[in-house]
Amino acid sequence: MKTIKEIISSKEIRGIADYFSLYRDVEGEIKRLQLQNSKIIKIALLSSFTVKGVKETLFIKCCEIGVVPEIYVGDYNQYSQEILDSKGRLYEFKPDLIIIFIDTITLLGNNYLLPYQISNEQRKAWVDEKLKEIVSLIKKINDNSSAKILLHNFEIPLHSPLGILENKQEFGFIESIEKINTGLRDAFKRDPQVHILDYDSFCSGIGRQNIMDYKMYFLGDIKIDLQYMPELCDKYLAYIKPLVQATRKCIVLDLDNILWGGIIGEDGIKGIKLGPDPEGKPFLEFQKYLLSLFNRGVALAINSSNNPEDALKVFREHPYMILKEEHFAAMQVNWNDKISNMKAIAEEINIGMDSLVFFDDDKLNREIVSNALPEVLVVDMPEDAALYLKKLMELNEFDTYQLTEEDRKRGRMYAEQRKRNKFQNAASDITGYLKNLKMVATIKKANSFSIPRISQLTQKTNQFNMTTRRYAEEDINKFSRSDNFLVLSVKIEDKFGDNGITGAVIVEKGNEGWRIDTFLLSCRVIGRKVEEVLLANVIEQAGNEGAKVLAGEFVHTKKNAPALDFYKNNGFKLASKDSGTEVWEYDLAKKYKSPDFIKVVKR
Amino acid sequence: MDSLKQIVSRVLNIDSINENVSRNNTEEWDSFNHLLLISEIEKELKVKFTMLEVEQIKTFKELQEVVSKKRK
Repeated sequence: MKTIKEIISSKEIRGIADYFSLYRDVEGEIKRLQLQNSKIIKIALLSSFTVKGVKETLFIKCCEIGVVPEIYVGDYNQYSQEILDSKGRLYEFKPDLIIIFIDTITLLGNNYLLPYQISNEQRKAWVDEKLKEIVSLIKKINDNSSAKILLHNFEIPLHSPLGILENKQEFGFIESIEKINTGLRDAFKRDPQVHILDYDSFCSGIGRQNIMDYKMYFLGDIKIDLQYMPELCDKYLAYIKPLVQATRKCIVLDLDNILWGGIIGEDGIKGIKLGPDPEGKPFLEFQKYLLSLFNRGVALAINSSNNPEDALKVFREHPYMILKEEHFAAMQVNWNDKISNMKAIAEEINIGMDSLVFFDDDKLNREIVSNALPEVLVVDMPEDAALYLKKLMELNEFDTYQLTEEDRKRGRMYAEQRKRNKFQNAASDITGYLKNLKMVATIKKANSFSIPRISQLTQKTNQFNMTTRRYAEEDINKFSRSDNFLVLSVKIEDKFGDNGITGAVIVEKGNEGWRIDTFLLSCRVIGRKVEEVLLANVIEQAGNEGAKVLAGEFVHTKKNAPALDFYKNNGFKLASKDSGTEVWEYDLAKKYKSPDFIKVVKR
Repeated sequence: MDSLKQIVSRVLNIDSINENVSRNNTEEWDSFNHLLLISEIEKELKVKFTMLEVEQIKTFKELQEVVSKKRK
């Protein structure tokens, strides 16, 4: 039996027809593939016209990132009815993501070609009414489903019967569509469940002149040229990846002919191309955009065959070097092979291979890495360095649904971690090292500032996570408001910097016994005894409020081995065990001793 | 570049294409696949069909004739 990856890689994909044919090949086996695969996502597509091709393309593209989707396509132009019917098929399907694609022609109806048969006043009223209608449909979905909603905005038409006078109208036809687009953006800016897909800018990217093939429109009501379906699905994928934890975290870079032009070992610091002249500018600007990604939280690392002192000289002395040593979470500059270096980088930063994106100008190196480490995304770099920047800007691998303060700082924190590791290598024993870190743990009840981060931690933490229960912001909010629950976050600072909020616990309070529902720690601070300080806090609070027993669950997963012995090693006794779930109990009459080298601040 | 025959075979998922293959006798050649086929031919062979031609083409033979006329 073939796996989905084998089926897909057996065919070269050149365009929409290949997606149809691949889908045909796997269609009969979808059920089997879903059983075989642990990651499943349910996607519903509602549209105002026939969008054949999205289902097939999106299915294959999801499989490529390791997810087998279930896709529901709503009936032709029935989106309102489906949304309003709270017992209907849409909600029965229980989607994780609902994509809503209403096209401008349908939205405008007769006013698309006859816009000036209504007055400016009528047009204003129409805009208000349409906005209200769409917003209330979305609200209806929010009431009936916990799905993320991806709502297309509207393509701004290119035509106007008034020609060059269009922009002189008090409230023109083009302006009315722009108004709806800004209205939609404003309406959902603060709604974490609803995202606006900027379809107008997608059309501009393709070329609005080309987005529709008129004969296909007249023959089949096809309002986007079939050939652009794969590109549209790529846009959807940017929203799907963070839902299935397929977001990447780190860019690994080669040096020669990637961060600068030429070869440092041969051309020397004066000979390499980097700077404001035409030959150096592609590299300068490529670095600028890398810095911009670093500032949004993407970690950077180097995997390069070079003499380390040659490379470091460029970082320290070249006047146009944008990226400095302090931006890198790992620097593997040596004569080892690229594969070992890649493994060393993943280990040093403590992230999986599936979090890495690799840039190398050498085709052979790219092949070697992608064959040996198929989980690494190896970017197919263009030969012309002038296209590097474009390639980098097009990557949609780093999207997340929230951007917390921790996320923005992540790149910097990884780089600080590199200094810590150096320090640890120098320190003789682990306790001495931990003591010298001068850690401060700030433990706080969840508040509006920390709730998005706690939710994010439950979504993303796989290793030190006792139960791996994923919670949305709304869930954490409910727990934190309830008197029956205690939600704590822990922030860790040390002499090298601020690690941010890197741990959380959710405890259900009973009269006699308290139950730890969630206990997790970001991989950034594993191995630093932070978990013991956090546990001590829970034990103390439970004891103070009169509880006798503290129960903790452990749910075994493929990835949470680091959490395996936590309860056992901390005075808990195994109370029961059943199919992968263990319940451990701590007798609160016992005293618990936590490490004294972490200073605890409680708020 | 694929030949016309290869494109038809790939899009409709049928192995043997001959002059007699038509929209009437080929289940796979339904109205949507017809549009997909036209779109693929336009892309691969760099030709453009008119709407009328798209409607009138019913057999592989007719398709061949229209395409070869355009590629002259």
